[in-house]
Amino acid sequence: MQRPLFPPLPLSRRRFLAGVSRLGLTGLLGASAWDAVAADLVEFPFVNGRRELATNFPQKGAMILQRTRPPLLETPFEVFDQGVFTPNDRFYVRWHLANIPTEIDPATFRLTIRGHVGQSIQLTLDELVRNFEPFEIAAVNQCSGNSRGFFNPRVPGGEWANGAMGNALWRGVRLKDVLDRAGVKAGALQVRFNGLDTGVVPQTPDFMKSLDIDHARDGEVMIAYAMNGALLPLLNGFPLRLVVPGWYATYWVKMLNDIEVLDKPDDNFWMTKAYLIPDTPFANIVPGQKDVKMVPINRMLPRSFFTNVKDGAVLKVGQTTIVRGIAFGGDAALAKVLFSADSDGDWHEARLGPDHGKYSFRQWEVPLRLSSPGSHPLRIKAVNVAGSVQPDRVNWNGAGFMRNVIESVAVQAA
Amino acid sequence: MNTNLRHIALIWTIPVLLGIALAAGSTWPGTVDSAPAVKEAAKGPVQKWVKVSVELPASQTPFPPGDGAVIANAQCLICHSAGMVLRQPPLTQDEWVGEINKMRNAYGAPLAADQIDGLAKYLRSINDGQSSKGPSAMDGQGG
Repeated sequence: MQRPLFPPLPLSRRRFLAGVSRLGLTGLLGASAWDAVAADLVEFPFVNGRRELATNFPQKGAMILQRTRPPLLETPFEVFDQGVFTPNDRFYVRWHLANIPTEIDPATFRLTIRGHVGQSIQLTLDELVRNFEPFEIAAVNQCSGNSRGFFNPRVPGGEWANGAMGNALWRGVRLKDVLDRAGVKAGALQVRFNGLDTGVVPQTPDFMKSLDIDHARDGEVMIAYAMNGALLPLLNGFPLRLVVPGWYATYWVKMLNDIEVLDKPDDNFWMTKAYLIPDTPFANIVPGQKDVKMVPINRMLPRSFFTNVKDGAVLKVGQTTIVRGIAFGGDAALAKVLFSADSDGDWHEARLGPDHGKYSFRQWEVPLRLSSPGSHPLRIKAVNVAGSVQPDRVNWNGAGFMRNVIESVAVQAA
Repeated sequence: MNTNLRHIALIWTIPVLLGIALAAGSTWPGTVDSAPAVKEAAKGPVQKWVKVSVELPASQTPFPPGDGAVIANAQCLICHSAGMVLRQPPLTQDEWVGEINKMRNAYGAPLAADQIDGLAKYLRSINDGQSSKGPSAMDGQGG
């Protein structure tokens, strides 16, 4: 049981190949409601959870269809067992507004930096690539509402299971370098990001998000022109996307073409009326609780998942099985991943796969040998270096954001 | 393979040495005045920007028949397809009124005030399951 079993990575880049060997198990163990109920259907374990698999979106493979227009496409969970980086053609998709350009000409595309700056500038894509130092970071992009379908009581919205997330190696330039080229003036407070997408009716607020100036200039927030070594799929934001490591994906503005430095707080709809969370630990409140201070969603929480066992999996008594999955630390590096195979709170540290950086998925694995027949609850929890631990009581809020309760599966030993 | 891919801008070339990239001039990083950036970029895959043109699929799913389907098909489909609406958990009629008002007030849906109740009743009927439950817990914000 000593040989590493981390599955092969989708990228051929040499530095990702270290420590990787062949997949030890084929496919997911277990049959449950999570399984495809037909070749092109998936049944999530919540009410009204049947979903179709769609294969007709450009630059995308089979994706779970949540909505056609504007597209909401979920990554089938088995993809996360195939590697620590989510392939571009399986990376989830979430758009708010339906006027999405379907044709983009890099020759005429411009990125504008304007507002409270010394001099407004417009950059071509070639200028962005050539005139700034390249920057790379591996980071998880997770929808604020990932796992919303599991909320109880249920809340309206995109009824995702756990696949509204993905991990990529982002390549581009630091936002700080681009802002410095324009020259941020004293008194700048925030930086606002806008993409090419717009609403269908003029009354719909344009989708824009802002970051505080110090965050925007922290040297990690970046403008990506490639993910996993390829140009971005159009539905993931071609040609440019903001990358905000450790923060929820609502800030990762797609088709980014306009950056405005503000000398006052952004009061646009998407910052002040939408994507708000209770200002409480884990954004948790009691259903129906009122008079809670609401703040813009921000830093991600740690999470961990099983990727090769599901509810109802049958394991042989006395035989060792490698149970594995992925984890991430949220806004801070993963410190450890803890595994439990009993309900007594007996937690054991899982082995961790190669480290691709503090904001990346990291694979974990545990050799599991069940000695008695029957049902066994398996649980997994991530702990980050800032001390944040996944809670064993479910966190809840009225918008369905930031779920990060400990995940569990019940396996059968026979 | 999707036929759209013929129009798509993913042109792959093998990684090339810095010198070749400089000589060719047509691939990233090309001829540049920023030597350190070029050197760094040359370590990665070399790509070329090409025009991207794709076609997004149109939804084939209208709202199901029923009183209110005409309003739903005329109004809701202006901004979004029916799929996400049909995949909601069972909401009460009041909660559907809240959703409809959010669409009107926050997003500018051109829906007449006297259409709200009828549409809410219809949406509840096509997404039935638990018509009576506790007080609504949703907070009705966008996102």
